[in-house]
Amino acid sequence: MTKAQQRPLIQEFRLLATPVVLFLLVFLGFPAIVNLIYSVSDVSFETLRQPELSGLKNFAAVWSDSAFWQASWFSFRFGLLTAVLECTLGLFLAIFLSPLIERRSWLMAILMLPLMVAPALVGLMYRLVLHEFVGPVPYYLWTYFGASLSFLGPGSAFWTLVVVETLQWTPFALLLFYMAYQAIPSEIAEASAMDGAKSHHRLWYIELPLMLPTIVVALLIRFIDGFRVFDNVYVLTGSGPGGSTASLSIYIYEAFFKQGAIGKAVAASVILFVVSFAVLYGLNFIASRRKGAIR
Amino acid sequence: MATISLKKAGKQYGNLEIIRELDLDLADGEFVVIVGPSGCGKSTLLRMIAGLEETTSGQIFIDGRDVTAASPVERKLAMVFQSYALYPHMTVRRNMGFGLKLAKLPADRIKAKVEAAAETLKLTHLLERYPKELSGGQRQRVAIGRAIVREPVGFLFDEPLSNLDAALRVDMRLEIAKLHRTLGATMIYVTHDQVEAMTLADRIVVMKDGRIMQQGSPQALYQTPANLFVAQFIGSPKMNLLPCRRSADGLDLSGEGSIRLPLSGPAAPAHLGARPEHLSLVSPDSGDCRGTIEVSEYLGGNTSVFVRAGKLGLINVSAPADTPYRIGETVGIRIDAASSSLFDDAGAAIAANR
Amino acid sequence: MITALRWLAFATAAFAMNFPILVTLSTSLKSTRELSTNPGLWVQAPTLDNYLAVFQVTDRLNIFLYLFNSLSVALIGTVLAVALALPAAYAIARGRLGERTLLPFIVNLRAVPLIIFAIPLYMMFQWLALLDTRLGLGLILTIVNLPLALVILVNAIHDLPAELDEAALMDGASRTQILFRVIAPVCRPAIVTSLIFGFITAWNEFLFGLMLTTSKAVPITVGASFFFAASGGGVQWGMASAVMIVGALPPVLLGLIMYRQISGSMTAGAVKG
Repeated sequence: MTKAQQRPLIQEFRLLATPVVLFLLVFLGFPAIVNLIYSVSDVSFETLRQPELSGLKNFAAVWSDSAFWQASWFSFRFGLLTAVLECTLGLFLAIFLSPLIERRSWLMAILMLPLMVAPALVGLMYRLVLHEFVGPVPYYLWTYFGASLSFLGPGSAFWTLVVVETLQWTPFALLLFYMAYQAIPSEIAEASAMDGAKSHHRLWYIELPLMLPTIVVALLIRFIDGFRVFDNVYVLTGSGPGGSTASLSIYIYEAFFKQGAIGKAVAASVILFVVSFAVLYGLNFIASRRKGAIR
Repeated sequence: MATISLKKAGKQYGNLEIIRELDLDLADGEFVVIVGPSGCGKSTLLRMIAGLEETTSGQIFIDGRDVTAASPVERKLAMVFQSYALYPHMTVRRNMGFGLKLAKLPADRIKAKVEAAAETLKLTHLLERYPKELSGGQRQRVAIGRAIVREPVGFLFDEPLSNLDAALRVDMRLEIAKLHRTLGATMIYVTHDQVEAMTLADRIVVMKDGRIMQQGSPQALYQTPANLFVAQFIGSPKMNLLPCRRSADGLDLSGEGSIRLPLSGPAAPAHLGARPEHLSLVSPDSGDCRGTIEVSEYLGGNTSVFVRAGKLGLINVSAPADTPYRIGETVGIRIDAASSSLFDDAGAAIAANR
Repeated sequence: MITALRWLAFATAAFAMNFPILVTLSTSLKSTRELSTNPGLWVQAPTLDNYLAVFQVTDRLNIFLYLFNSLSVALIGTVLAVALALPAAYAIARGRLGERTLLPFIVNLRAVPLIIFAIPLYMMFQWLALLDTRLGLGLILTIVNLPLALVILVNAIHDLPAELDEAALMDGASRTQILFRVIAPVCRPAIVTSLIFGFITAWNEFLFGLMLTTSKAVPITVGASFFFAASGGGVQWGMASAVMIVGALPPVLLGLIMYRQISGSMTAGAVKG
């Protein structure tokens, strides 16, 4: 009898959550199943509707493809490097500039501007910035140093991309850190000043430890976004030179659209899918356990 | 208006028992105050009656109708929340009329009812304002107004005054008492403040750990508490508890003094409960026990004197404002034994001497 | 002294991070003749010729179409995402429904490389004739926007006192009525934030625009790259710059006007994501 009262309530909540669940089933669930089927099938654009099971052949092909490993290595290195650079720079700027921004919040708007521009457009913009004839960077280097670099050449393309990504996304880290820094209660700073702490002591022993959770989260988000990078890298270098700047996203895109290797592209997707969700759920698990420990 | 009764009503969250098989009957038009320390289950009980919390065992009846499984609106009760819970995006008028609108009443009826209620609560000039433009007391009145317009069979109040400052709380308390007289409605009022309970209630229900410790009129609870918990909880300042043992002709106060008191039967008192106003300061030689004045608080109408009396501990005595005794002085304490209460080892009151 | 250093650091950071935008803006204002002689930042003889040229519709390049496509898909992707997320957020926050399943799954979507769903979606859209349609791209952008919209709205509803819902229950409202008559109006700031944020994200999306559209539904991020495809005499840098400025303007303006709300929601997504 008492259950009868609760049931309509829960049913009404279920009804409210139904649209989003249906939407996800259609637009993610169905693709996930197609992914799984095609990844173990022999399939081409001609045989899309009659895939023939072929076991783990596609996975073997991906596994033995040196380009796949090169792309994985690129994504990992790119994600890690940009995350560390962005967070270091962002942390420094957030703390060093906070006395200015506290009084004039529009300064933050200027610093946040790059976040509003599409990464694809920023990538295209750098084609202009770095262009050997019309780009200002080579021009100024020639004018003042008498030499310029081949920014998108074999040796330097990776580093150019790292700088491009870092300059666009440092503001994100800066914003997070600025907010975390502002959220530190001023009583804590005052109390430590009463205890005789110098400002660098305060930074090292009090402020940075309090900001640590935010720093970890920012590193994580920036690593993930760097790892799955596509837009700016794709428009700036394609995958070149010589496949050296293909991220995993670009590897899958090119396997499908340029080589028509559906099986390989799908198998790589499934690998990425499994790894991503395993890592993310692992992180969620750790985070929720730590939360529980703190409580 | 309505009678409300609970028959062995209980509430469990998993293994945790919040309310244990509780029986409670409200007469039509009665004002019952449920009081108890935080975590005693009083708010849960109120929300079970309201239908906001599931009742996991037992039954709830309103006017004899079993409403245990009924939705809040089917119970035809109105509730005033601690935080008022006014809809911030609606004017006072729309806040008060929302329930009527959901019940699909015609607009002119809603208008009439809202304006009548606003008139009663002196809210007419505030009808077009938003909650954020009102003071705490005004918000409280709107919350009450929202309850009135629906003409419920009973009102539920969940600590409605705890967000107000002290002066306003007294005013609102008087308004709620007046409202009860005008409407004559059945009301259940939850609070942790025993002063609110004493001043408002026809009947007080004292709860602890999901159980009713005692219920009765304010006078009954004050004068004849059924147990140590109620004795300590009701009354401000608190009742003094003096450890004691039965002696040949009355009570032995832990060797610090004695009282002659005819005790019958097998009563084995462990504590003598005496309210500060039932004690008086006398010269050291003439009291029932004696001690040294440690603190003396002048309160205007009287002086609250704290006497350190050996094993009896610190005793609070309500003395006249112009009491001649000073801090550090040794005084005697006379105990009005007839007004005191006796409790046994288990904390239950002993009625033998009454 | 230290304040001067801070200003120097600000100026350097602001200049370096906004450098590509400044260069593009300056290039877009240069005449064709100046372009070949002056690659520097300073414009000697500013002109709007490039913008006029960009708005000349040709068979190959139609900026109005790209802008209209971006606007349509961003609106579909944003409004639909919020429309789906709001009831779900209410069920999660108040009904505690899917708190440990649906919520983490959708939030994790934000961190998954969406390319892994791209290939089957491409095939599915081929069957459903949704390739190169604004509706198709809008539906995909809904997926992109769902996680953040859901997090923002769940947080906003969590922050409201439960007594508000209970008061409405006592007033006789159903859960659906509470959602639309009480919760949604009260959460309007959070809803507006998720709309703005979603709009910017959707407008700036590139990967799915590249994969799922070819001509009719091309959004501006993809359309802009068409201007870089050499047509005879190499890239027309002035026009290409003007296109990029036009394409970047809507989200930048929205961002500048609403940057307070946006910075708040970025943190929300970050802390809970």
